[in-house]
Amino acid sequence: MKSTKDVFSFFFSLAKKSRKTKIFFVLSFLPVFIAFVVKFSQIFQLSRDIEGIYIFNNMIIAFYLQFLILILALFYGSSVTSEELEGKTLTYLTTRPVSKSAIIVGKYLAYTVLIIFIVTLGVVFSFLVLNLNDLLDVSLYKILFRDVAVLALGLMCYTAFFTFVGTILKRSIMFGLIFSFGWENVIQYFPGSTQKFTIVHYLKSLLPSVSRGRFSFLLFRLEPSSTGTSVFMLFLIAAVFIVLACVLFTYKEYILKD
Amino acid sequence: MTAVIQTQNLSKWYGNVLGLSDVTLEIEPGITGILGPNGAGKSTFLKLITGQIKSNIGSVAIIGQPIWNNFPQFSNIGFCPEQDSFYEEMTGWQFLTSLLRLYHLPTAEITEKADKALDIVELTEDKHRSVRSYSRGMRQRLKVAQSIAHDPEIIILDEPLNGLDPLGRRKIIRLIKEYKGEGRTIVVSSHVLPEIEAMTNQIILIHQGKIFAQGDIHYIRDLIETHPHIISIKCSDPRQLAQKFIQNDFVLKVNFDLKKGTLLVETTNRDKFFGLLPSLFVENQIEVEEITSPDDNLQAVFDYLIGK
Repeated sequence: MKSTKDVFSFFFSLAKKSRKTKIFFVLSFLPVFIAFVVKFSQIFQLSRDIEGIYIFNNMIIAFYLQFLILILALFYGSSVTSEELEGKTLTYLTTRPVSKSAIIVGKYLAYTVLIIFIVTLGVVFSFLVLNLNDLLDVSLYKILFRDVAVLALGLMCYTAFFTFVGTILKRSIMFGLIFSFGWENVIQYFPGSTQKFTIVHYLKSLLPSVSRGRFSFLLFRLEPSSTGTSVFMLFLIAAVFIVLACVLFTYKEYILKD
Repeated sequence: MTAVIQTQNLSKWYGNVLGLSDVTLEIEPGITGILGPNGAGKSTFLKLITGQIKSNIGSVAIIGQPIWNNFPQFSNIGFCPEQDSFYEEMTGWQFLTSLLRLYHLPTAEITEKADKALDIVELTEDKHRSVRSYSRGMRQRLKVAQSIAHDPEIIILDEPLNGLDPLGRRKIIRLIKEYKGEGRTIVVSSHVLPEIEAMTNQIILIHQGKIFAQGDIHYIRDLIETHPHIISIKCSDPRQLAQKFIQNDFVLKVNFDLKKGTLLVETTNRDKFFGLLPSLFVENQIEVEEITSPDDNLQAVFDYLIGK
């Protein structure tokens, strides 16, 4: 536990300063910029008055859930192992009195917490800008809280999956892109039980109100699982992939090229 | 003395390529030099004894314990890898303190140990600069610092003098010798014979993945001395010089390298050869530009030893 905490603080402070984090931080603020544009056009009556929460819901589905959290989880999750191999820094970690599992879990937690923070910040700012006129409406904050929680669960789950992928595959980014924008985006619309083989199915099952949005047709085939099942499945998937990543990282031999 | 590092029939292949073959040895406290040309298997050996890679056959034991996946062992081991890689976003100070934190030490002790290590490798003034901005020599010294910062009993250094200037080399050599005086076990690899010679008498010669010779460095030196040496001389009148050399029985051959404009002399006795050289230059008024020994490298020494 102490080792995991030490690895966590090592990589959390390192990742905070990385160029990658700065780029993704800017990317996660893209919806905030869009929110500002929408709000200004509403203020100056350049567009028709659409409810802020309506735009926010669509933003969560179209940008955050189906794009940003996948990209963030892919680039951070797969780098848990791959950046140590490519940067040839793995030796510095594996010659310390910390278990290889602690390295994986510590790095995974550091990156997950960091990307949850990045996403939350963008979501909260977008929400505040889009709902500037209704900031005293408490019911809206429940939606905000729920959306942030779903995105955090999504990040936890996808990052665990990509951490595992990064421990087995050298070219994990290519596989990750195919998985994210191929498998996850296609299989979720299959009828019956097939859609339950995607992570996004359980995430969307936690977002009932989303059908009110313009992109509700995207959920046409969604046969949602119950909230309890969805949350359980998301935790289970994350735990299984992290355990698999730890086992693989412990017993696999990584040869750094000279 | 009890062996600190023991290997038994240690062998490693990278696919079809042999990395190390059937290495059985015992390393005792003190400095042991691992000497071999590039690609001989030195780094493979060091990676095996630090548990970076798994052996295909054989075993490694550090203080009687296996090393692969035995992470508590690393409290007592310091390893300086060959590759020039770092967490580039960090400063030298952050790099050291972050790694020291992995030893579960209190913050005050981490600070103290990091300061001490940086002071030893003379990086105190530059400790708050980004590693990215460090020169090659500073990076090398930082790598050494991370291997000694936690005060280990066993220090394993893979080509620690690479990229260091002569002064830096002398300091690291002196440091290694100091650690020997404290009863620690130090394993140092190099492909440069004089570097190892400056640190220790105990060497292990490694070539093509096999232990070629092991023991006192003087034994290796004697082996080398019995074989002819090639000396290259760039001067104003190589033909005249060749004529003078060939009259001596300790000169076996003379050749001209027309491209480089040098004279290559093969001799069985380096001492006599170098004793004669200044008088020949003076008597014949030959201006000398450069004298080098092209075979004064480890590959050539090994070629001699294996009779190529």
